[in-house]
Amino acid sequence: MRNSMSKHNAMIFHFILALLLMPLVVAPLSAQGRGGQGGRGGQGGAEGRGGGGGRGQAANAPKPGPIRRTPDGKPDLSGFYQANAGGANYGLEQKAGEFLTPTTRGVVVDPTDRMLPYQDWSRKERLDRDTPQRGYDDPTAHCFVAGVPRSMYTPSPYQILQPPGYVVLLFERMSWRQIPLDGRQHLPDNVRLWQGDSIGHWEGDTLVVDTKNLNGKPWMNEVGDVLSHAAHIVERFTPTDADNIIYRATVTDPIAYTRPWTIEIPLTRQADGEILEVACHEDNGDLHHLKDVRDEYRAAQKKEK
Amino acid sequence: MKRFCLILAVTGSLFAGSVFAHHSFTAEYDPKKPVKMSGKVTEMKWSNPHGWIYVDVVGADGKVTNWALETSGANGLYRRGWRKEDMPAGTEVLFEGWQARNGKPAANISTITFKDGRRLFAGTSNSADPSSKQ
Repeated sequence: MRNSMSKHNAMIFHFILALLLMPLVVAPLSAQGRGGQGGRGGQGGAEGRGGGGGRGQAANAPKPGPIRRTPDGKPDLSGFYQANAGGANYGLEQKAGEFLTPTTRGVVVDPTDRMLPYQDWSRKERLDRDTPQRGYDDPTAHCFVAGVPRSMYTPSPYQILQPPGYVVLLFERMSWRQIPLDGRQHLPDNVRLWQGDSIGHWEGDTLVVDTKNLNGKPWMNEVGDVLSHAAHIVERFTPTDADNIIYRATVTDPIAYTRPWTIEIPLTRQADGEILEVACHEDNGDLHHLKDVRDEYRAAQKKEK
Repeated sequence: MKRFCLILAVTGSLFAGSVFAHHSFTAEYDPKKPVKMSGKVTEMKWSNPHGWIYVDVVGADGKVTNWALETSGANGLYRRGWRKEDMPAGTEVLFEGWQARNGKPAANISTITFKDGRRLFAGTSNSADPSSKQ
C-alpha cells in the first residue's frame, strides 16, 4: 500500500475517522434503543459520506480558494475526485431504495421531468435488465470497464492528471481515459471501444470532452440504463472554485432515446486522495452466484415450454 | 484505543456492499431468504472486487457449514479503517442478512454482533423491509 502510515499515525487516523463518523453511528444506535430495527444502516452508504478516497471538505473547512491554473492560464483540474453522484450507479432517474439498492437522487437535469427519454424498445430492455436473471449480463459483473459516462459516477474516487496537451483520468478498477487536447479528429467510425474515443478542448474555463466510437456494450448502471453504440457524448467539466467541478454529460443516442438528455453531478477534490488497486478478476465469486440465478431461470423457462 | 476507534469507524459501513458493488446485489441475494446464525470466523479474505468473511456454523444436526459473508472490496475495507489483523480466525460472531438466491451458504449481511455485544451495522441497503418488494 502506497503511503503506508506508521502505527502512531494510523491510530490518530482511526481516531479522527471515528469522530467524523460518530453522528452516523449514533443514529442507528439510538434507533435500536427506541426499539427500531437498528440493524440496517439506513441510507448511510459511502456516497453519503463521500465514498472514501481521502478527506473531503468538512462542514467548517475554510472556503476553497479560486480556480487553480496551469502556467498557460487554463484551469488546473488535476487531483483526486469523488463524485457526489446520488446513487447514479444504481439509476440515473430518481427512485426510492429497495432491497439492497440505495435511493437514487436522480441526476437527469434535461428533460425537465428528469426522466430518460427512452425509445419503447430500450425502456423495455432497461426493465428486463433490472431482474435477477439479468444481473449476470452487466459487463462490470465480469470485470469489464465501466465505459462512459458510468466511469464518472461509480462510487470510487478517481484521479485527473493534466500533462501538457492531455487530460487523463485514472480509475480504481484499473482503467483510464486519455483525452488529447491537440485538435485531432475522432478515430474512424469502424473503430469501437469500451471507453470510446474522447477528444477535448477548452471553452473558457470549461473543459469540453467529445466522445464517440463507443461499442454499445456497457450498461450505464446496475439497473441497466441503456446506451447504444451510436451514442455521442459531450461532457463539460466546469470548475467553480479550487476544489469543486460541475460535471455535465449530454448524451445524443437516437437508437436508444427520442431526444438528447443531460446529467449533472458535482465532483469534489479530495485533499489527500489515493487510487487503490482493485484487481477485479482476482476473486470474482459473485459471478458464479449470478450465473446460477440466470441458469435456473433459463431452465425453468425451458420446462414451461 | 485502536480497536475502539476501529469499531466506531466501521459501524454503519462494515459491509457497505451495495455502495461498492460491481454488480447488482438485488440479483444475487434473496429477500425471501433471511438468515440469522452464529459461528466462528475461519478466515477473512481481503480480495477484489469484494472481500469475504468465512464463518463455520454448526447446524442442529451437528454438521458444520462454512458460510461466506460478502464485504466491500479491499479498497473499501481499507478506507473504512479495517486492517488485515482485525478479524482473526476464531472470533465468535452472530450475523444477520440474506442468503444467495442460488441457495449456497453465502450471504449479504445487515449486521454482525460480537460475543461481547458490540454490534456492527451493515448499511448495505436503505430498504425498510426487504420483503416489501415482492
